[in-house]
Amino acid sequence: MPEQKDEAVDRARRDLAQRLGMSESDVAVKSVEPVDFPDAALGAPLEDEMSAQVITPGWRIIFKAGETNYEYRATARQLRLFNFNGENYRVQALTES
Amino acid sequence: MSRNNIWVHVTIALALILIAAFAGGVRHWKKAMERSSQLVPYPKQQPDDRENKADDEDDADKVEVLVRFRAGTTREIIDRITREFNDEVEDRIESVDGLDIIADEDGQSAADVVAQYQALPEVEYAETNSEIVLDHEDRGRKHVHADDELFSRQWGLANAGENGGLAGADISAMRAWSVTRGSDQVVVAVIDSGVDYTHPDLTKNIWTRPEIIKAYEDDDLGAVDDQHGFNVVDDDGDPMDENGHGTHCAGIIGAEGGNEIGIAGVNWNVKIMPLRFMDGDGAGTTKDAIEAINYVIDRKRAGVNVRIISASWGSNTRSRALEDVIRKAYDEGILFVAAAGNASSDNDETPHYPSSYNLGNILSVAATNRNDQLASFSNYGANSVHVAAPGEEILSTWLEHGFTEKKGTSMATPFVAGVAALILSQNPKMSVDDLRARLLKSVDPILSLKGKISSGGRINAAKAVGAE
Repeated sequence: MPEQKDEAVDRARRDLAQRLGMSESDVAVKSVEPVDFPDAALGAPLEDEMSAQVITPGWRIIFKAGETNYEYRATARQLRLFNFNGENYRVQALTES
Repeated sequence: MSRNNIWVHVTIALALILIAAFAGGVRHWKKAMERSSQLVPYPKQQPDDRENKADDEDDADKVEVLVRFRAGTTREIIDRITREFNDEVEDRIESVDGLDIIADEDGQSAADVVAQYQALPEVEYAETNSEIVLDHEDRGRKHVHADDELFSRQWGLANAGENGGLAGADISAMRAWSVTRGSDQVVVAVIDSGVDYTHPDLTKNIWTRPEIIKAYEDDDLGAVDDQHGFNVVDDDGDPMDENGHGTHCAGIIGAEGGNEIGIAGVNWNVKIMPLRFMDGDGAGTTKDAIEAINYVIDRKRAGVNVRIISASWGSNTRSRALEDVIRKAYDEGILFVAAAGNASSDNDETPHYPSSYNLGNILSVAATNRNDQLASFSNYGANSVHVAAPGEEILSTWLEHGFTEKKGTSMATPFVAGVAALILSQNPKMSVDDLRARLLKSVDPILSLKGKISSGGRINAAKAVGAE
C-alpha cells in the first residue's frame, strides 16, 4: 500500500505540474491522509458520470503550488483531481499508467 | 378392616399406581415428541430399535434432494427419470404440484444429484434438502438454516448478536426461507460493473438466454450474442465484471444457498441477469446506464421474466432521459431498486439520482448497521428514501472466485431487490405497484429510522413472504 500511495502522489504531482505549466519541484505535498470516499468516483464525479455507491478507501492528497491548494483523490487503481476551477477530472488510470 | 377389605384397597392402590405410571409415560412420550420436533428429521425416521438401526444408518447416508417438476410432467415420466438415475421418489409434497423428495441410491453427492436434475428440461428446480429447525428465540416459528461455510458472518440475513451487534437486527431470512427460497423463474437484472458469472457460488443462478428468446438486436451493433446479459462498456454480450462491485451485489441477491460453500444469497434460487455499464473503476456514464435499462426492457418484451432491476449506483446529476427510461420500465412492470447514496445527507434537500426520481416503481434504499441503526454514511430522506436494509460489513462474492466485505447503500440495495424476488417467487403475477407496497408494508419499524425514511423501517423478508 505505501508503494501505491507514493505512486499516486507522484502521478498526481506530475499531472498538476503539467496542468499549471510549472516544474514538478514547484509543487509541494502539503498532506496525504487516508479517507473513506462515499462512492467509486471518490466523491469527485465527472459531469454525467454514475458510480458505484460503495464506501471506497483511498487517500486525499493536498498540494500547494504558489499560494493555492489543490486536491487529488486516489485509490490503488484510480486518480481524480477534485474541484479544479469548479470541475472534477479523472486522471489516467494508475493501473494503466 | 376385614381381610376382604384389605384386598379391595390393595387392588385399588395398584390400579391407581398403574394409571399414574401410564399418565407419566404419556407426558414423557409427549415431551420426547416435542423435543424431536425441534429438529424435524425431514424425512428421515428416528431409529426405535436395534433391528432397524442398521437400515437407519444406511438411510442417514442417503442423499435426498427436493425436485420440482414442471407442470405437465406425468408420474410415469418422473418414475422413468428417477429409475434412469438409480434414484427413488421418497415422498411427494401434495400441496405443491410436481414437488418430490428424491433419494439417491448410488452414493452421489447432493450437489451432483441436484445438478443432474437441474439439467433436465422437465425440472423447474432442484435443491438440496436442508435441516428445518424451530427458532429458539421465537418458539413455534420455523426457520431454515443455511449450511454455507461463511453463513455465520452474514449478519444481514441472521444476526445472533456477534461482534457487538444486536441479535435480530437482520432481515429474518431464515424464517422467510421456511416459506420460499426463491425461484429460477424470477429474473433480477443487476445493472452494475458486470458480474463474474463463473463464480462457483453464483454460476448456477446466472441467467442464460433461453433458445426460444432471440438474441438482442441493437440498432448500431446488430445482433448481440447475449448469452448471459449485456456489456454496454464494450458493446458486446460478455458482462464479465472487472471491478467486483457487481459480483458483490449479485451474491447478496442470489448466491447459491445450501451448497456448503461460501455464502447464501437472499434467494437460493433465482436468475441474475448481469449487465455491465460501469468500468473497472466502478464508474460509468448516464448514457450507458440508459442503454442497460433499455436492454432489460427489450428482454422483458421478448419474453424474459425480468421483474426487478437492482441499481447500486448514482450521482447528484439529474437526467430527464434516465428518468424517462425508468418510467418505461415501470410501464413494463419492472421494479427499480436504487441506492440512496453515501454522503450522510438528506435526499429531500439534495436529491440523489436515480433513487430520487418520483416514479411509482422506484424504491430508494438506505443502509443500516448490525445494531439496526442508520449507517453513519447513509443518505436518508423522510419523503424520498423509502426503506432501509443492511449495508455495513456485508460479506458477499468477489472477483477471482473470492468473498469480501463491503459497505454502502450499494450493499443495502440488493437485499431489497432480493426480498422482492422472494415475493415474486410466491406471487409471479403480482403487479409492480403491489410488489412495492408489500415491501413497504413489511418493514420492521426501527426507532433510528423514524422520521428519517418514509417507511421508518428495515426490510423484513419473513413478513414480506408471509412467514409471520
